[in-house]
Amino acid sequence: MFEAELKNNNDIKLTGRFDASQVENAKEVFNSVTSSCEVDFTNLEYISSAGLSVLLVTQKRLSESENSLKLTNMNKHIRDVFRYAGFDTVFEIV
Amino acid sequence: MDKKFKRDLNSLDGIFKFINEFSAKTGVDESVVFTINLVVEELFTNIVKYTSENSNEILLQLKKNEDDLIIHLTDFDVDPFDITKTAEVDTKQSLEERRVGGLGIHLVKQMIDKIEYEYKDRQSKIILIKHLEK
Repeated sequence: MFEAELKNNNDIKLTGRFDASQVENAKEVFNSVTSSCEVDFTNLEYISSAGLSVLLVTQKRLSESENSLKLTNMNKHIRDVFRYAGFDTVFEIV
Repeated sequence: MDKKFKRDLNSLDGIFKFINEFSAKTGVDESVVFTINLVVEELFTNIVKYTSENSNEILLQLKKNEDDLIIHLTDFDVDPFDITKTAEVDTKQSLEERRVGGLGIHLVKQMIDKIEYEYKDRQSKIILIKHLEK
């Protein structure tokens, strides 16, 4: 199960497992973001490189207008994946 | 435990279920389960992306001994693709320099202790070994 939900003030809440079969669902939500935005990882259990790519594409697009994603409340395993990918230097992770 | 999976991203749910069954049976800890999920997904999706013309199922084998977890992923009747020889990803690049994609095999190399590749009789086999903490 995976859900990417757009919250009231332009923020995104992720739930479940963000694997390669969920990329199209996630893109619909991430592509709708046009300004700086917080992505809540509290309920995200798992992410693979497919999910990382969706985040990277969004971060690159937003950076052109000097906006960015802020990623919050990652579990330890997901934080390790970001570190292995070197994504801890291209995203603000809090 | 062995199981064959259809060459399709929709097989991922079944693969994760199979890994859960194996993990429950062998008692591997939660962080190792996360690692198995991720490395198998990365390699399986790589096979689906680059050998989509082939309709053979892909064999996933999971084994555990006292010291190691061993994962075999075998693709049948295909050309060789040695993942141990893929280019390294530069994780120090800035956001502007970063390319989208190519990260999957990099993550596998980071999370697994040993990767071997065998190719014989048109069978392509990836062998991953993860040392288990005691």
